Amino acid sequence: MSETPFDKVLDASGLNCPMPVVKARREVRSLEPGQVLKVISTDRGSVKDFQGWAKVDKKVDLVGQESEPPEDPVTYIHYVQLAK
Amino acid sequence: MSTKTAAGTEWSVEDLHAKLTGAKDFFVFDVRAEDEFEAWKIEGKKVLPTVNVPYYEMLEFDEFDDVADSFKAFLEAGTAHKLPRDVPILAVCAKGDTSEFVAEALRRLDFDAFNLTGGTAAWGDFYDVKSVDVAESTICQISRPARGCLSYVVVSEGKAVVIDALRHVEQYVSLAKDKGFEIELVLDTHGHADHISGGPELAARLGVPYHLHPYDGIHPIDVLPATIGYSYLRDGQAFTVGGKTLETLHIPGHTLGNAAFLWDGKVLFTGDSIFIESIARPDLGGHGETWAPLHYASLRRLLELPAATMVLPAHFSGLGEAGNGGLFVATLGELTRDNEGLRMAQKSEEEFVAYILASLPKFPDEYVEIKRVNAGLLEVGESKASELELGKNICALAQAYEDEAGS
Repeated sequence: MSETPFDKVLDASGLNCPMPVVKARREVRSLEPGQVLKVISTDRGSVKDFQGWAKVDKKVDLVGQESEPPEDPVTYIHYVQLAK
Repeated sequence: MSTKTAAGTEWSVEDLHAKLTGAKDFFVFDVRAEDEFEAWKIEGKKVLPTVNVPYYEMLEFDEFDDVADSFKAFLEAGTAHKLPRDVPILAVCAKGDTSEFVAEALRRLDFDAFNLTGGTAAWGDFYDVKSVDVAESTICQISRPARGCLSYVVVSEGKAVVIDALRHVEQYVSLAKDKGFEIELVLDTHGHADHISGGPELAARLGVPYHLHPYDGIHPIDVLPATIGYSYLRDGQAFTVGGKTLETLHIPGHTLGNAAFLWDGKVLFTGDSIFIESIARPDLGGHGETWAPLHYASLRRLLELPAATMVLPAHFSGLGEAGNGGLFVATLGELTRDNEGLRMAQKSEEEFVAYILASLPKFPDEYVEIKRVNAGLLEVGESKASELELGKNICALAQAYEDEAGS
């Protein structure tokens, strides 16, 4: 169902806050500028946290978010791009 | 709801409640996202010194294996100078995981810091019970302090009625078991907009009747009938509980089916009509202008009751409204004098309606959905229910929330 292209995947399933953002922040910095990290999380709070983080971190852009299944989500996916 | 308390470095939600209602000062360091913090924060009897720094802003110097060291590096770079050293600091986040690292980082900088176990989620679901013996019966006021919601169990001769049961129905079941009384009736004063009622579920679990006024069995905005099972409540209807009588007063205004209950002619459960410091708003059904005059007539009717009548409302807007013993209660006479909304209700209908329509706080979007859930028109799981109920009720007029808005 994903239409957002990505270059690397970080599976943060089962990890509690703050680890999904902490790991994503480290991982995305290892990419080339413009590349996208797909982060899989099971933490509902990660949706707002990734939005907030991308707003304050000048090195990253949040280029997409998805919840699966849409009606009663258990997985939250974030696409984070290292700024060009 | 009880939560684990780790020795020394954690505050349970019970600890937090005791501190909020106690005399000693403390400081809150809230690391949730800015909009979550703005929407709802921990509040005390007086303004609670609080700072909000979203945790993801504190990762700027993240180069350590231990996240607490990354937070420590951030704090040392500036924020630490703004934090007090003379009072305890409570680190707070949504679930209590991130704030544990923050509290640890603060301790490494020699602050007297603690973590709120379970975070704001646990605080939102915390219940407190206060009891008072009056009119040869026992009245238990069961509250969710974080949300400003009040419910009641009224006991006479071992039999009890539950009024405005909140969502976590095991609270009432276990209270009945602990105190050895039998719940034989469940009532809602109205179809609630700010929280999910525990009434239908509690009644079904116990196999006892659940009553709601039929006007509130229709969703006011969808104009669809409720699918929950309920018995009709009507004006003047009297219920016998133990040795006492509970009388129904239909007082439309906040909702069309709004009701109050008078216990033994002495204690008035006002639901969402008269609160301690304010009165209920008439617009949560989407018809504020047409319902405000009904509200006026209903309040005038309640004002005819004796001044000594004890008023027990369904909401409060601040912990400071509690009186001796922590109970949210006042006499009708006191409220007639001190409650601004009730003072306005003693003026002309025109003046009252103009006042109330100029005093409406924001109408939270989720209130329409919560009414759907309460009518059985929408089913939600635990996490969605918890999300819908997040934050403090906004069922009173705007003046009730002004202290917080200015802080």
